[in-house]
Amino acid sequence: MSSTLFSSMKYSDSLTVVGISICTAIVCEAISWLLIYRTSSYKSLKSTIDKASKKLETMKTTDPSTATLVKKSKTKKIDRVESSLKESSRDLSMFKFKSGGVVALVLFVVFGLLNSLFEGKPVAKIPFVPIKLVQKMSHRGLSGDDMTDCSMAFLYFLCSISIRTNLQKFLGFSPPRGAAGAGLFPMPDPKSN
Amino acid sequence: MRERKSVKFNFELQQHQNGHFPPFKVEKLFDPAAAWDKDQLGDVLHWIRQALALVCGLLWGAIPLVGGIWFLLFLLLSSGIIYAYYALVLKIDEEDFGGHGALLQDGLFASISLFLLVWILNADMFSLENTRFYFSVYFPSNCDFPHSNW
Repeated sequence: MSSTLFSSMKYSDSLTVVGISICTAIVCEAISWLLIYRTSSYKSLKSTIDKASKKLETMKTTDPSTATLVKKSKTKKIDRVESSLKESSRDLSMFKFKSGGVVALVLFVVFGLLNSLFEGKPVAKIPFVPIKLVQKMSHRGLSGDDMTDCSMAFLYFLCSISIRTNLQKFLGFSPPRGAAGAGLFPMPDPKSN
Repeated sequence: MRERKSVKFNFELQQHQNGHFPPFKVEKLFDPAAAWDKDQLGDVLHWIRQALALVCGLLWGAIPLVGGIWFLLFLLLSSGIIYAYYALVLKIDEEDFGGHGALLQDGLFASISLFLLVWILNADMFSLENTRFYFSVYFPSNCDFPHSNW
């Protein structure tokens, strides 16, 4: 009865996609922790970046009404700290990139698996018609003109961003705020993906 | 008041540089006199946005609300609530935290994705077709429901 109920629901596939995304996110973070986050190199780089960015903030928020000579030396100091911050951020990115290959492989395999399961099949219904740019992903591989049909790729994309970003944040694995790349739309840490 | 908060902010910043992290207390969330560290405030705003995304997604999907306008409404609502929280409840000097842009962007992208995900899933769950199926299982005779077509 319950299996009939589940299989009869038109978009039960969406729950399958979400379930697989959650499991993938947990596995990826576990791998990242093993290869990246627990290493002393990562911890020291992160600590360096945190200290440098906080130092930079303090230097930038001090009293602006200082003498010109003091201001010039302060600017030089700020430049030095900024370049050291950029260097540490770059080192952190390189370090994560080397270890992130395994996670990238896992994600590739999972996406391939989902694609083979749900190719050409709408897995959900979007409750509005997305803009043309989004339709390229939301209607990817689907036939017909109904732009509210949701492809597996779009749902997986939403799951990836929301679940992995929040999981990283919850576990304390999100990149330090001072590191480069934390712009308007911070993605889940790409180097651990 | 803003000068006092700036002095407090700088003091806390120096404490953090020395590796001292004052414990986080729930009362701080509603205390306009509390001083905030950039990371702590960013985290709080991030989780508030995620909670709003979850609630709105569940609500929008359960009614269900259909149309792009409701997506825009969510954006306005969540940003408005975040702004009201840090400007009116916490009375934060946004210049100490990188300006309104930096504060409003915390957790924005993740919350949009979470909102869309929850809205889509919930709307599918509560769609009339599924409701019709459940109804016909328990009341098998002569039930007629209109089909849901967004």
